[in-house]
Amino acid sequence: MSRSNAASSRVAASKGVSFSKSPVLAVRLPTWRSRVVLFVLFAAFAALAARALWLQGVSTQFLQKQGEIRYARTIELPATRGKIMDRNGQVLASSIPVKAIWAIPDDVLQAPPEKIRALAGLLDMGEAELRKKLDSDRNFVYLKRQVEQDVADQIAKLKIDGIDTRKEYKRFYPQGEVMTHVVGFTNVEDVGQESMELAHQKTLVGQTGSRRVIKDRLGHIVEDIGAKHEPHDGEDLVLSVDSKIQYIAFTQLKAAVEKFKAKAGAAVVLDVHTGEVLALANYPSYDPNDRRKLTGAQLRNRVMTDSFEPGSTIKPVTVALALDKGVVKPHTTIDTGPGRLTIKDRTISDTKAHHVITVQQVVEMSSNIGTSKIALSMPAQDMWEMFTKVGFGQQPKWGFPGAVAGRVRPYKNWRPIEQATMSYGNGISVSLIQLSRAYMMFARDGDTIPLTFEKSHDVPQGQQIIKPQTARQIREMLEMVVTGKDGTAKQAQVPGYRVGGKTGTAYKAENGRYAMPRKYIGSFVGIVPLSAPRFIIAVMIDEPTQGGKYGGQVAAPTFAKVAENALRAMNVPPDSTVTEIVAPTGNEGEAM
Amino acid sequence: MTGKISAVLAALLVGCALSLVNAQYQARHLFIELERAQAKARQLDIEWAQLQLDQSTLGKHARIEEIAHGDLGMTQLTPARTQYLTEGEP
Repeated sequence: MSRSNAASSRVAASKGVSFSKSPVLAVRLPTWRSRVVLFVLFAAFAALAARALWLQGVSTQFLQKQGEIRYARTIELPATRGKIMDRNGQVLASSIPVKAIWAIPDDVLQAPPEKIRALAGLLDMGEAELRKKLDSDRNFVYLKRQVEQDVADQIAKLKIDGIDTRKEYKRFYPQGEVMTHVVGFTNVEDVGQESMELAHQKTLVGQTGSRRVIKDRLGHIVEDIGAKHEPHDGEDLVLSVDSKIQYIAFTQLKAAVEKFKAKAGAAVVLDVHTGEVLALANYPSYDPNDRRKLTGAQLRNRVMTDSFEPGSTIKPVTVALALDKGVVKPHTTIDTGPGRLTIKDRTISDTKAHHVITVQQVVEMSSNIGTSKIALSMPAQDMWEMFTKVGFGQQPKWGFPGAVAGRVRPYKNWRPIEQATMSYGNGISVSLIQLSRAYMMFARDGDTIPLTFEKSHDVPQGQQIIKPQTARQIREMLEMVVTGKDGTAKQAQVPGYRVGGKTGTAYKAENGRYAMPRKYIGSFVGIVPLSAPRFIIAVMIDEPTQGGKYGGQVAAPTFAKVAENALRAMNVPPDSTVTEIVAPTGNEGEAM
Repeated sequence: MTGKISAVLAALLVGCALSLVNAQYQARHLFIELERAQAKARQLDIEWAQLQLDQSTLGKHARIEEIAHGDLGMTQLTPARTQYLTEGEP
């Protein structure tokens, strides 16, 4: 078989027909197949090109962003809240970085119990309390805020899973209760809540900055990308307050409130030349660093936000008006009669019968009848204008939050009896700072200047209210109050210095009527040294219950102590040769 | 001729590339130093604030008075015990 086959193929070859040309073996490919291959290849390239175009052209932004997220980080650059300083640069409030400790409860509860116990100890809370905080289905729980750095470091050393820290600031007030009514305080978010911290919130707060950086796998910053937004720290605030004088005012006030078992007290010291508030003290006070047991009484700022009936301290204002208008002269005599004066159905009384006295003596002895008679010889409008000019009933513009305007009713509906009582400070209400500012015109030769809580560098422009001559006459009368034979404030004398001032005692009003039994507010406003006035010091003692109730007994000695120490502290040369004073401490009576 | 130019350009290119690497390295190095210095500056700022605070706390008038009265036995000055001198007088 095989032999014949081979023979036949040889035969075929010899005939010119190739073996492969066997019709069985011949494959006929259709032409469309090659075209399909060509098309598929082309389509694949086209798809690649389209994809490339898509990635590079259309979705490039998205992709770049995604890439950046994986290595670029935005870091917030915190800004520190500005410091508050007194006029000599002593720090009164400063922010220090601390840590807030927060936790992911589920993770923390996995930790061994002794670690949780240690954590509770470091956080200064009971273990049960800590566990109660952790017993939450939230993912983020603050355990404690404003933890100091060294404690935070110790907590980090415990290496508990799920415990982390966040940077924040804590504000410290080194002067504590002495300065708090001026400085105020901030809340846990570092936002001002009271006084200067609140008033200057905008400038103190500063602006946080940010920067974009590339971080490597270990979290080190490799380089900056884009512009850096620098953080702007808050501006420092320099107050007009002198911490030395403030301390003196506060300690003397505290001593007085305790000695007279009073409900509260307030004192303010003004600089006569610049209108700066050198001290503003309140008692009871509180420690701004620990406000857990804070009460409303402690928080109250009795100098700025409380108004009271000033009583006799307002008399010099009435008398100054009369002198200025030429209605009376210092030696004009006034008949105060037997110490009682009835106008229609109401009676005004003095503590005793003074009979015929001069205008000077009206102030010295603080005669209500004398002042009323002077007031009634003037039109109501003049008195109202005077009160308004010195700032009574006017909203103060000294940038202190919550400062009250006090109350002076419009003169059109004053009845004569009201005009009379207002002349000696009843039926009108003012704040202690308004009252002390009213004395500015006596201390400054008749002009008054705006008050400020910030250290001022330029001398403010005064506004003339009374004639310089009148201011001098009033100063003489104020000195008589302190040194005169019948003066009501002998205890206000300061060894080595000439002093002028006026006492005041007012009944406290409660629910629109005078409280029964009588509650008193004793006050004193004084100017020292009288030869060249430097300070105005006002003291108010609220509800003294033992050792006296009149301004001359409770407020005047406090004034004297504050003045004595403040003058010495500020190196004011003495203007009097009297160095030993034996002030009577007896129960001298006094008109309202 | 063209071969020579290519060789020079190639050498230049390599040189440039190497200097870029070097520059980048220097930049990173300086950046790290800058970072460190800035961190230190912040730390010092905080320390300064802390020290100012300490100064104010330690210089509190209440504390000074307590020490002066208690530990040092000092008393307050009164005008009666003060001798005032007038300038220009012997």
